[in-house]
Amino acid sequence: MIDLRQVTKRYGQAAVLKNITISIDEPGIYCLLGRNGAGKTTLLKSIAGYQNITSGVIMVDGKQISTSTLDTGVSYIENFARHFNLPVGKLLKIASEVNPNYDYDFASEMMERFELDGKKKFNHLSLGMKTMVSTIICLASNKRVVLLDEPVLGFDAIMRVEFYNMLAESFQKHPRIIIVSTHIIEEIAKTIQKLIIIDRGSIRFFDTLQSVETKAFSISGLQKDVEAATQGLNVIGQDAVGGLVTSYIFDNPPGQTASLEIHQLPLQDFFIQIVGHKGGTTR
Amino acid sequence: MTAIFAVVKRLLASNKISFILTVLVVICATSSGDVVLSNGNYTWLLAGMTPFFFVFYDFSKLMHLGASKKDYYSGCLAGYGILALCISLVNTAVHQLIDPIYPAQTVINLMDVCGWTENGLIAAGLQQMFFLVLVMVSLQVLLSMQANWYGWLTDFVLVAIICIFTPIAPLRSVLSEFFQLVMLNSNAPLHVGICLLLSAALSIAGLAVLKRKTL
Repeated sequence: MIDLRQVTKRYGQAAVLKNITISIDEPGIYCLLGRNGAGKTTLLKSIAGYQNITSGVIMVDGKQISTSTLDTGVSYIENFARHFNLPVGKLLKIASEVNPNYDYDFASEMMERFELDGKKKFNHLSLGMKTMVSTIICLASNKRVVLLDEPVLGFDAIMRVEFYNMLAESFQKHPRIIIVSTHIIEEIAKTIQKLIIIDRGSIRFFDTLQSVETKAFSISGLQKDVEAATQGLNVIGQDAVGGLVTSYIFDNPPGQTASLEIHQLPLQDFFIQIVGHKGGTTR
Repeated sequence: MTAIFAVVKRLLASNKISFILTVLVVICATSSGDVVLSNGNYTWLLAGMTPFFFVFYDFSKLMHLGASKKDYYSGCLAGYGILALCISLVNTAVHQLIDPIYPAQTVINLMDVCGWTENGLIAAGLQQMFFLVLVMVSLQVLLSMQANWYGWLTDFVLVAIICIFTPIAPLRSVLSEFFQLVMLNSNAPLHVGICLLLSAALSIAGLAVLKRKTL
């Protein structure tokens, strides 16, 4: 269980995390979405105890987390993580030795499935393969909380599909909290249970993917019809082209009428509306 | 325990450069004249180089492999103990077996200079071992701090102490007495006790530094 209470992280005057309060208490695969610089990595590193927060409290399984926590029970892997320049097979073996609960069979199986050459040294691997090795090590660690920071960076389409399968299999084998930060939204949607959207250091959305499917809609039509239909609803964004208006809602959709076009909002569009930026500016 | 043992194994395995450099220097170092330095002295190089690798090379990599800070630190301390024992054994062997057959009339081994050999071979070996543990733990603490302001402050204070204490006679004697206690000490129980005490104190300080270390 992860519990964050009023977590703020500042670098000098700049607040990267702003008063975040969130509780993740059920095992599941969570997707952390956010634009570049939204605070995703800072949030994950703070939960992993890799860096200290400025104020607030982070608890993982009842244990307060900071850099002074000598054994956090959290496995975190960042993209471009540097490892010993050893053959991949040996690297996975060492990881199994330093991790008491490591699932070596899972790691070996994944190494074969991803056609990783066990004899090839880590520094000789491509970026995608390096990331894959890091991800396998992290998932095989079997810690109660696993944090993957942009794990699909450098993966081709086939590797990404394999990765999502691996994630699902790993979770089925050992249900635990897995948080994956990514930019490739639609692809991971089939794998995840809950969605966390972070923007400019604040959590903007934390709910199930199912709630997005049942509550996120676009309503298009003439301005007066759209305004009448969305009155009292949670409107998260709006576009206007000529006399036509499209409102984006996160609420129960209004009844279908001939003057309105109501469509389910794809996850990516929902994210864009929640984050509420266009071309780097706030609406 | 298994995890700590695995960390020790990895720390020692990734310390190859230190081993190779030390072996090269020990084998290749030559000196001439009536008074020469024992090649065994150069085994101490390993103690000087190892903490650099443990701190700057191994820490982040072991963390990325999923080791805990606790296991890393325990592994470092155990590694220092093992290396100190090995260095001590090799230098003592060199002192006993190679130094006497040297063609020079006087061969200077640091074990003699420090007065440890006055207490017999085993005590001298132990004194050397605990002194080297102290050296390595001190370096571990000092190097771990370098990424922070207090590391630089410590460097400054150490340099200031040496610069101020050396030219002023009364202060120089304080500095000298300190080195008499921790290094040039022929009283084996006192010397071992002081080295152990200082190593323990520095280990606690090192733990505090590690607790603040970010990745």
